[in-house]
Amino acid sequence: MITCRPRQRHAALNARLAGVLALVLLTFTLAGCATTPRLAETTERQLSRQVLLDDIPFHGQRDYQCGPASLAMVLNAGGVDINVDNLIPQVFLPGREGSVQPEMLATVRRHGRIPFQIAATFDALLTEIDADHPVVVMQNLSLPAWPVWHYAVAIGYDLDAEDLILHSGMEPRRIESFRRFDATWARSNRWGFVALTPGETLPESVAGPDAMEAIADFERVQGASASLPAWESLVERFPGSAMGHFALGNARQATGDPQAAIEAYRIAVKRRPDLAAGWLNLGLMLRDHGDVTEARAALERAAESPGDWQDRARKALESLEVTS
Amino acid sequence: MKKIYRYLSPLLIACLVLASLPVAAAPQAGSDLVSTHEALSADRYLSDRERIHEVLARDDVQQQLLTQGVDPAEVEARVAALSDQEAADMADKLEQLPAGASVVGALFAVFIILLVTDILGLTNVFPFTR
Repeated sequence: MITCRPRQRHAALNARLAGVLALVLLTFTLAGCATTPRLAETTERQLSRQVLLDDIPFHGQRDYQCGPASLAMVLNAGGVDINVDNLIPQVFLPGREGSVQPEMLATVRRHGRIPFQIAATFDALLTEIDADHPVVVMQNLSLPAWPVWHYAVAIGYDLDAEDLILHSGMEPRRIESFRRFDATWARSNRWGFVALTPGETLPESVAGPDAMEAIADFERVQGASASLPAWESLVERFPGSAMGHFALGNARQATGDPQAAIEAYRIAVKRRPDLAAGWLNLGLMLRDHGDVTEARAALERAAESPGDWQDRARKALESLEVTS
Repeated sequence: MKKIYRYLSPLLIACLVLASLPVAAAPQAGSDLVSTHEALSADRYLSDRERIHEVLARDDVQQQLLTQGVDPAEVEARVAALSDQEAADMADKLEQLPAGASVVGALFAVFIILLVTDILGLTNVFPFTR
């Protein structure tokens, strides 16, 4: 028993040393994470040096409502007439005392705007602000072990001072250094989105398939007449996208413009001759609104390729034989 | 009373039939065309099982939102606005999803927790607690 004492003191000393070491390591890793983000040279050349979107209204958050407040700011900026009180029941989760990312995006859809997630880079963030799009960002203001998740709206920056300007919490036009901001933003894997009116130029950093998903999800909620302008701007931006032209054809068909729809399907199968869904829709539209021989040729192409649409193409071909 | 029913029943039936018509008629327009949603999900190479999961996810999310205290009148519209992928994410891991909340409150809580554990001798974050 008595012999334990010195050993215990020894152990305490070791523990203290280990603690100090751990603290030093922690400080170093944290400092290591928090470096000023470097921009790609091309981005640096293209960006304006200073930007402040000064027409973005500010809504201060109450309690835990930074989600609804951030949404109100970007929706108002895009011309949607809505206030925080209306948004709270639509996006706030009382049980979690906060708002989750999927529902932030879904709420944007409900109000007729398309949410596009931006690429997870500092370049993409500044590029969007420079293109006049306020960006909703998610930050973790604390450490990963005790997260303090927070939504804010990035509305400006100063490349020379290396400052970002945000409407955040209770503070309009809050200035945060690039370094501190990026450290907190990185903890959400640099999550952020813009809310655009259908037909507006697509975000610089968005990839074709992601943009298509975003518009298709919007279309499911708001219908084809709302999404039609967005598909137009998608094929303008990605003229080589067969699926884009295909989707445009569907939207045109749904809004009662069969000739324009046929035109879009034709481009779609020209871009990707193995797009069976494109051949099938082209054939069906031609059958009802165009030339039967052409329709048959298109349906045959669709029936050739094995896959999800082969059966439907064969049935359509059979019905064609019966009627003609 | 019977008399009222005699008039009311046919009226009710007519209402119900009429109300269900748009639902039945909706897919009729260009019905056999491949929809964008179908084509895109075929492109994503989801297995049938995953697709079924995405369909069922919405019911699941609806339940979860109710338990989280969302107004029942709002639940349906909130779920309807989710994409398939988002609904599946919510169904699988709503508990783990980060919820953007507030600034001061939570930080203060952490501070207090650490202070208490420090005083109890369980941690050693603040040098002034000894």
